[in-house]
Amino acid sequence: MPAETLIQSKNLIKKYDDFAAVDGVNFEVKAGECFGFLGPNGAGKSTLMKMIYCFSPRTSGELSVFGLDPKTHAPEIKNRLGVVAQSDNLDDEVTPAQNLEIYGRFFGLGGESLSQKVKTLLHFMTLEARADDNVRELSGGMKRRLVIARSLLNDPDLLILDEPTTGLDPQVRHLIWAKLRELKKQGVTLLLTTHYMEEAQQLCDRLLVIDHGKVLTQGKPADLIKKHLEPFVVDLPEGKARPKGLGRGIRLEKHGDRIFLYAKSPSALEKIAMASKADFQIRPTGLEDLFLKLTGRELRESD
Amino acid sequence: MRHVVVYFNDFLTNAFPTVVEPLIFIVAVGWGLAAAVGSFGGFDYLTFIAPAQVMMSAVYTSAFEASYNTYLRLHMDHNYDAMISTPVDVDEVFWGELLFIAAKGVFYTAIMLAVLSLFHTMHSPLALLVPLVGFFTAMAFGALGFFANAVVKSISQFNFFVSGVISPLILFSGTLFPIEKLPPVIQQAAYILPLYHFVHLSRMLTTGVFNPDWPVSLAYVLIVPLAMGFFAVRAMRPKLIQ
Repeated sequence: MPAETLIQSKNLIKKYDDFAAVDGVNFEVKAGECFGFLGPNGAGKSTLMKMIYCFSPRTSGELSVFGLDPKTHAPEIKNRLGVVAQSDNLDDEVTPAQNLEIYGRFFGLGGESLSQKVKTLLHFMTLEARADDNVRELSGGMKRRLVIARSLLNDPDLLILDEPTTGLDPQVRHLIWAKLRELKKQGVTLLLTTHYMEEAQQLCDRLLVIDHGKVLTQGKPADLIKKHLEPFVVDLPEGKARPKGLGRGIRLEKHGDRIFLYAKSPSALEKIAMASKADFQIRPTGLEDLFLKLTGRELRESD
Repeated sequence: MRHVVVYFNDFLTNAFPTVVEPLIFIVAVGWGLAAAVGSFGGFDYLTFIAPAQVMMSAVYTSAFEASYNTYLRLHMDHNYDAMISTPVDVDEVFWGELLFIAAKGVFYTAIMLAVLSLFHTMHSPLALLVPLVGFFTAMAFGALGFFANAVVKSISQFNFFVSGVISPLILFSGTLFPIEKLPPVIQQAAYILPLYHFVHLSRMLTTGVFNPDWPVSLAYVLIVPLAMGFFAVRAMRPKLIQ
């Protein structure tokens, strides 16, 4: 049975005065998948997200979430959404448990069932020990986990996460990814933005690469890499690799002070790499390389 | 309507800790000003300014809450962002704030009333209705605070709001002296601008002496704050949604 389409956009545009933050974006998100927007800072990812979770009105184009138009059916859409925004917008004058209670009330939840849910969610994100502490004392990772717990109060069908693990330690990052995978198994559709290649590769079924408000490419990560890049790459410091005598089948790119050599097989790269007498590592191409090729910039440029 | 309950719950949990400090401030100010001397207008000065004092507590707290505190919630804590990720919409968020500010106005005016009544300034049982006037006063000045919020580019610009709008209003609205003593032009202005009517009505309630123009004041007190609220909430919209 084909999965239903949860989000759909056609020629979506968002302009601030004359500046087009989102400039004609078409995409589709299907139920049950994890879909990612990948792009550098300023690409338009957050702007795109804000239109989807009905925070920001679109300038033109079509957008439908759960088959509804955010312009006219925002409350119904928001009822089925969970939102984890980029900046933690927790209330630091009340406790974590109270934060969840208050948020739950906005959805019309209440009473004993709400209290139960709060407990369950705090447990799910391993925060029960801090339920009654001061929000200000929580670490960045805990705050983010609290925001994620909060976004699940209304049992959303679609969870939207804007850069969920930016600024967090690797351990917390992996914990959150594990939780997100669990949610996906439970049938929650995930939509996230990120500029971390590893996150996109670990979590996303399909990706949309965006820069300057325009879609550069979209599809399954493995397919995208296959489509745009050679399978293997090695990067060497400039000056160590002699571009002449490269041999056929090797493509060279220069970024900053490093040279990138791409080829169909590792053996083709080995000779040159060894001849350079530099430390090297021949690796399979990944999303970072995809990004470099499509935009000429590194993903991690402005963290 | 469920929403109204929800906001109250939310803000109550937030705001209760901060309710106690203003109490001390108000009592101190009330006490301090009660040491004013003289008599006129048929009553002693104390009786004259008492209702004004009561209203001022509503004026100050609501104006400050709606300007400074709202600004911080808006720009620093992003509390409102979280709220509109739920089915609550922008207008509901700001009406919720305004209603809560108005409710706090009732609370503060009631406290001031209690304190000032200890000084024989209340001459009519109708004075018990004054906290209701406080509700509308707080709503009006909360609305003004929102207008200020819609306009300022940084938190220090609220200084203009306080010294340029609130203070003059307080001085020229029959709070410390009857406006009949002021030039006619200023009197006309006072009649239209907020505060005069709130104080006037309160004074009638605390003294039990009713001016023939009391229906005008009553109408003003009931209608103008709601209208101001409507436009103020609208003015706050672009602050949250872009």
